[in-house]
Amino acid sequence: MTTQSEAQSSAFSAEEMEFVAEDELVDIVPNMRMEPLNMICGDFGPFLPQIAARVPIWLAVALKKRGKCTIRPPEWMSVEKLTQVLEAERDSEKEFQSLPFHYIEISRLLFHHARDDIPDIYMVRSLIEDIRDVRFHKVETSLETFDGRTSAVQIKSLSAMEVNIVRPFVMKALQAFQKLGGLVPESDPLPDSRPPEVDKAAKGRRTLRGR
Amino acid sequence: MGSYYDIDDILSEEEPVTVIFRKPANGVGIDPSAEKNCVEQGSKVELPLWIAHELCQRDAVSVNVPACFDEKTRLEIQADPANVDLRSRSPYFYELGCKMAPITGDRTLCYFLFFAFRSRYKEVLTKAHTAAHVATPKVLSRLTNEEIDLYEAAQSSVAAFKKWRVGGSRFQPSSALGRKRRSTD
Repeated sequence: MTTQSEAQSSAFSAEEMEFVAEDELVDIVPNMRMEPLNMICGDFGPFLPQIAARVPIWLAVALKKRGKCTIRPPEWMSVEKLTQVLEAERDSEKEFQSLPFHYIEISRLLFHHARDDIPDIYMVRSLIEDIRDVRFHKVETSLETFDGRTSAVQIKSLSAMEVNIVRPFVMKALQAFQKLGGLVPESDPLPDSRPPEVDKAAKGRRTLRGR
Repeated sequence: MGSYYDIDDILSEEEPVTVIFRKPANGVGIDPSAEKNCVEQGSKVELPLWIAHELCQRDAVSVNVPACFDEKTRLEIQADPANVDLRSRSPYFYELGCKMAPITGDRTLCYFLFFAFRSRYKEVLTKAHTAAHVATPKVLSRLTNEEIDLYEAAQSSVAAFKKWRVGGSRFQPSSALGRKRRSTD
């Protein structure tokens, strides 16, 4: 389990990402009475039967396992919302729809621990899978457009897991580009069909290196 | 240059390159065709890169561009970058090229390396992400060590993600246990 993070010390393993995602907040409806919990990360509760409370996922899962609450799936995890997102994802070539940063992990946690609390779970699950596939495909195609002028990659509203998956590759690819591109004398344009743009990028790189 | 103990760095410097001696050198047995223990001016010798580099710095030799960067390879790369077997040319194709460029003073070599990598990395990425299982040695046989490194980075992170996604519970006792306890409450 930890082998991946050991092998590539810069990347988190999927399990570590899941652990981080457990700090996200969800709404629960307790069926018991309990004093507020004072945690370092904040105070949660008080818990009253049928009164919704907002707690971290790890706490929600712990209570759920003891049968003390039902978890309210987050707003974005409804069939309508997800269908909208999926359509929008398919429509736009480049842009990513805004979803929670940890949507992959959160959905997996909830599917696993609170499957009876999610309406239309099969639909929701397959929608999220679809969204993830579409987005990941987009990430892949955007990674294929490195042209050596790239010294950094900016993609808006990419989720944690998606970043984590491509991180090792992107780092190594950019390093290689940096190395090979650094050899090319900067006075000369890079071998490219668009010399002027390349020249601009070469200047950008110079300032970066000077840092 | 990599770090001192970088094994790839060391191995890439083992690659033989052809050098031409500018000065005669006495008392060295590095030219196998010479009758005596000395190298005459203008003789062509194959030496590992690390020693060629040193000699070149002392102006004792001039280094030829190795055969793996010849015109034929360049044309092949231009025609169909993804399918050129660079591994058979040199397992450390890029590393070697990077080190050769300053020694030989061949400016086009830099362009060529850059172009080759830029057109080949996409293929590496696609192959790595679509590889269903770990075993895809067929693709790997064409890639240089640098590209294999890249391939494995991409492939292992996707594989780890897939494993996590299908993996069942790891930290909790099985749900069957929990249910039993709840029913006895």
